[in-house]
Amino acid sequence: MWKVYKYTLIDLARNKFVLGWTLLLLAISLGLFQLEDQPVKAMLSLSQVLLALVPLVASVFTIVYLYDAMEFTELLAVQPLRRSKILGGQMAALGTALVLGALVGTGIPLMLFLPGGASLTLILACVMLTLVFVAIGSLIAIKNREKARGVGLGLVVWFLFVLVYDAVLLWVMFAFSDYPIEPWIVPLAALDPIDLGRIMVLLKVDLAAMMGYSGAVYEKFFGNVRGILVALLALGAWVALPSAFAFRAFRRKDL
Amino acid sequence: MKNWMRLCAVAFLLCTVVGLSAATWTVNASGKVKKLAPVLASAQAGDTVRVLAGTYAEGTLTIDRPLTLIGIGRPVIDGAGGDGNVLTITASDVTVQGFMITGTKVSNMNDNAGIEVEKADNVKLTDNVMEHCFFAFHFANSRNPTVIGNTVNGDPEQSETSRANGIHLWHCSGATIEDNEVQNHRDGIYFEFVTDSHVRRNKSLNNSRYGLHFMFSHRDTYSDNLFQDNGAGVAVMFSKNVDMSRNRFIRNRGASSYGILLKEINDVKIDSNIFIDNTTALLVDGCNRGEIRGNIFQGNGWALRLFANATECHFTANSFTGNTFDMSTNGNPVFNSFSGNYWDRYQGYDLDHNGVGDVPFRPLSLFAMVNERMPYAVVLSRSLLTQLLDQAERLVPSMTPEGLEDDKPLMKSPHVTRNL
Repeated sequence: MWKVYKYTLIDLARNKFVLGWTLLLLAISLGLFQLEDQPVKAMLSLSQVLLALVPLVASVFTIVYLYDAMEFTELLAVQPLRRSKILGGQMAALGTALVLGALVGTGIPLMLFLPGGASLTLILACVMLTLVFVAIGSLIAIKNREKARGVGLGLVVWFLFVLVYDAVLLWVMFAFSDYPIEPWIVPLAALDPIDLGRIMVLLKVDLAAMMGYSGAVYEKFFGNVRGILVALLALGAWVALPSAFAFRAFRRKDL
Repeated sequence: MKNWMRLCAVAFLLCTVVGLSAATWTVNASGKVKKLAPVLASAQAGDTVRVLAGTYAEGTLTIDRPLTLIGIGRPVIDGAGGDGNVLTITASDVTVQGFMITGTKVSNMNDNAGIEVEKADNVKLTDNVMEHCFFAFHFANSRNPTVIGNTVNGDPEQSETSRANGIHLWHCSGATIEDNEVQNHRDGIYFEFVTDSHVRRNKSLNNSRYGLHFMFSHRDTYSDNLFQDNGAGVAVMFSKNVDMSRNRFIRNRGASSYGILLKEINDVKIDSNIFIDNTTALLVDGCNRGEIRGNIFQGNGWALRLFANATECHFTANSFTGNTFDMSTNGNPVFNSFSGNYWDRYQGYDLDHNGVGDVPFRPLSLFAMVNERMPYAVVLSRSLLTQLLDQAERLVPSMTPEGLEDDKPLMKSPHVTRNL
């Protein structure tokens, strides 16, 4: 697995895309911090951009890369290698490269301009979202033979998580506002990894508002560090589950 | 001229005579006169009692004639074993300075206090330390009380039900409350029927209910105070002609916690205050004729909750930055106005470069209205969805009240804003 990991990583390093992604992130982060006179405001704008962009790029790039590396994958599959090791190495390498890109592209500017808990939380959210969408992207790439279809599906999934799910959630809140649905809202939000990342940032930045709503679940959830830990755990599950499905699909796949 | 000179001379003589007749007593826990009570009983009106360092545990002490008590080296007066109060003052013109006072009894029946002042005018309490008192200072029916430079530490271990107020005034007028620090009481400073008074440069921190709480208290000014980490912030109710300026309201968090809660207030001026990190910075519920100008609202959950029963409240030259919601309301508060404030969410332009945006700003976002109906929707804040909704609403206002807008939004904050 480590050899697969190593060679995929070397290939990714040669690929200009990861470098470009890093530079783009750097440009956005630095640009926002230069434009805004208040670092906190810049960080909030940045978080909105990142929470939408990171999942998109992570999933689409993973899908495209896995399709492009198909010949190499087939070559590896011929060798006496377990399939889980092949996919594991590839996913780990993709995750490493994109996480490094995010760390350099956003982590450095954030820590430079606004060192503190809020920035750390945003970086953590970006890292976790990268991993989640590498896992989801891998699952999509393995499940679909056609590249265009895979990329399209990746876009649809991203769109679902970034916008549609929230709209449905808001509609549910409206529709069931006569019922005691408060305890269900946070678990429902946890079904969307992008929401989880956003809530992590909210817990750091908008805690004052979060404390305003005294529903029991919220109080427990938003009280302290526990909220962020719970969100992290849920995001961990979001990495583990699609990965598990991806491994299963890859094991059974007829290459 | 001669008459005037003569008058002066007589006045001078009178002063010296009075001065001579006033004796000075010295009480020393390790000296000849060990007890305070006998001295208080035999001193004449106008005398000064010097109390040297030591502990004086003589139950409740009563001052029933005009005396000046001066503690030297911070003597301790411990009221344990008394009727609940430590020091009861029933005479006017009493000064108590430089003591540490402790040993009140917690009671649900009596307002036991470290220093209780009842029907006594011109009482001065300065530079005392009140340690773990039930009420620390309790004034009733007194004119011109002065409370300056005291440190009031409640017992942080007590539950809210067995705490009482730090500085408590009931039916008083002309009070001066300055440079005190009150912590861990129920209400830090409590006024009921207190008129024509000044509250300046105090710090009210970590109180379990309100940092400052006043009701039926007219023509009072509150300036340069700090209210921080209080359970419910500051609540002011049923009062007229209130002037609050240059105060700081910081980190008052909770479902019913407010930087300031204005309830049934007429003619209020809120000027140059700073609100940071509160759940709700300013709640205006039934307020007539408010002048709210030059304040900084930064990083609050709700900077402003303006209820529809508020009328003629004018918001000018305030800065709204980094708040989760700049504003929310329960209806349509059109009888109020916004003009010339700075809003960090403002996206307009300023073609003529006069520092004022050319299109009005609508401070009430659609999502804030949604959130007013469904508080749990707060989990969706700052999501792409709510951004889009707010943008759409801003372009084509349909749900938010029509007239609610700042017609002259500033392009730059009138304040030097701080970072969170």
